[in-house]
Amino acid sequence: MTFFLFNLLNGLQLSMLIFLMAIGLTVIFGLMDILNLAHGAFYMAGAYFGYVVFQGTGSFWIALAVAPLLPLVLGFLLQYFVLQPLIDRGRSAHLDMALLTFGLLFFTIGLIDLIFFETLGLTFMSIDKPAGLGSYVDIGTFYPAYRLFIIAVGLIVALIVWLILERTVVGAVVRAGVDDREMVRAMGVNVYVVFASVFALGCGLAGLAGVIAGAELSINISMGVQILIPTLVVVVLGGLGSVKGCFFGSLIVGMTETLSQAYVPALALFATYLILAAMLIFRPQGFFGRTPKSV
Amino acid sequence: MENTKDESWHPLVEGDESRHDPLDEVANADHRKFLITALIGLVVLIALPFMVGDYYVSLLSEILIFGLLVSGVNLLLGYTGLVSLGHASFMGLGAYATAVIAALLGYPVWIAMLASILISLLIAYGVGLLSVRTKGVQFLLITLAFGQMFHAIAEKTRVTGGDDGMTNIPRIDLGFIGLDADHDRVFYFFVLFCFVVAMAILRRIVESPFGRVLVGIRENEKRMLAMGYSTFPYKALAFGISGMLAGLAGSLWVQHSFFVNPHIMTWEMSGEALLMVIIGGSQSFFGPLLGAAFYVLAKDLLSEITEAYLMFFGLIFVLVVAFFHGGLAGFAGKVSERFTRGKSGGEERQ
Repeated sequence: MTFFLFNLLNGLQLSMLIFLMAIGLTVIFGLMDILNLAHGAFYMAGAYFGYVVFQGTGSFWIALAVAPLLPLVLGFLLQYFVLQPLIDRGRSAHLDMALLTFGLLFFTIGLIDLIFFETLGLTFMSIDKPAGLGSYVDIGTFYPAYRLFIIAVGLIVALIVWLILERTVVGAVVRAGVDDREMVRAMGVNVYVVFASVFALGCGLAGLAGVIAGAELSINISMGVQILIPTLVVVVLGGLGSVKGCFFGSLIVGMTETLSQAYVPALALFATYLILAAMLIFRPQGFFGRTPKSV
Repeated sequence: MENTKDESWHPLVEGDESRHDPLDEVANADHRKFLITALIGLVVLIALPFMVGDYYVSLLSEILIFGLLVSGVNLLLGYTGLVSLGHASFMGLGAYATAVIAALLGYPVWIAMLASILISLLIAYGVGLLSVRTKGVQFLLITLAFGQMFHAIAEKTRVTGGDDGMTNIPRIDLGFIGLDADHDRVFYFFVLFCFVVAMAILRRIVESPFGRVLVGIRENEKRMLAMGYSTFPYKALAFGISGMLAGLAGSLWVQHSFFVNPHIMTWEMSGEALLMVIIGGSQSFFGPLLGAAFYVLAKDLLSEITEAYLMFFGLIFVLVVAFFHGGLAGFAGKVSERFTRGKSGGEERQ
């Protein structure tokens, strides 16, 4: 029983980490049709910048507060000055932007490799857990306090995002934009600023996930790709653009990965992909996705 | 919008050979241009190995092998408009099939090669039947998912050495014409032979009514449906053929390098194939080959300076997508057009 509880919490912890990534990706896609494959790059940017800030200040909390700002700003600049102008010049949001951000992911991985490995000689790094969260908590079994912290952050972010989207005017604009962009524009909203801000916030959350993961997992060159793939699976499972779907999708993927690893290791490597393949064949629009608008 | 049931497989223009179409002249000019380019390319590919050192001969083989892979990827990306992020798994499939049949079961390599082409065609066709129900982002993700599954299977399978892979894979036996394929130059010409045959067949395919339908799907699938084409079997078969080319590439790759491991099936590998296609130019027949050549040579040059060559490829890729939509081939086309136009005194066609 304690083994099960332990794994359940581990699954929840992974789910929340993936959720922090997937929420940005799915809202960005819902609003702008852009599949931001560079999301993994922003996650890495958060983690590596978090490491630099942590080395400079020695404080986990400062790193947690400061590091997501880098991906936030970069995300805004990318959307406002690169992606949107290209879309306006006739590049397809769907295909070309997915390819472009894919190239950006490769570029970032290479750049980080060049700076941190080839120049500084660092391979596997990590941020120290803050005092008080480095120990174990007795909840029937001894469980690392930091992982409970990750679960808490994920739930709080989910709550805040939900409140913003459902209870504020800004959220109403974003939801309206997901439904019908042109109409929002006709209502006098500067959609470009809304687009870039949402893009930036999504990237900021990816950066936050990066810093948090940097203290639990190791910071290395393949971390971005490692988290990007389950994130993409979540986004498809939940239905592109659906926040609710994103939350449940994260739970499904996080739990599947963790529990299959614990109980049926032979299946662990492809359990998630089996679910994804089945999903795309039988219900391609995802659990909570709507059937695509007819043109 | 489901119409996967009817079995219409008729060619685009049936019994229409006698029709005179002004577009035919353009097509003929295109065909002549293609033959000239192909001939020049072939002469260069035959002459080059006699002019460069052993190391570069091996690089040339690599270019041709990747050329087969990316031509397959481009049949989907450039001709049909489907972005696959799982093609490395078919290359891996071909490689493992050859390795298992030749090295483990002890059959002659040529049987292994034929078998691996057939296996990759069948499995890719099966995967195609499932994945071409989706398109766009969903298609990208489902091919990624299948790719990851094949990768996981390769890593878990004990007989093929799991993560370590297999070594000592034999090359094809060319003893019947008195040659030894263990020499890199001889093997290069064998690869070139396979390459030319495959490319000739691929050219026939994309120029056939079948290929035209694929282009129609890329341009406007709804219209093709409205014209009465059931697009589903076309897309599935295109997926199968493109997987088969990847399988042939894998089968040659494993002979080229004498070993195979799951690394050639990673999604990074599939991504690099996409890089080659886009950098070379996706909407032309030779573009992806230029991309493969550029990729192999640039990687070789850059790896002397830095391990972080992905940074440069990522950057070039971004720039190509953003500004040079035609890639290298589109650029070369523009240059040659300006050149010929300048020579013929500004004379404009049409």
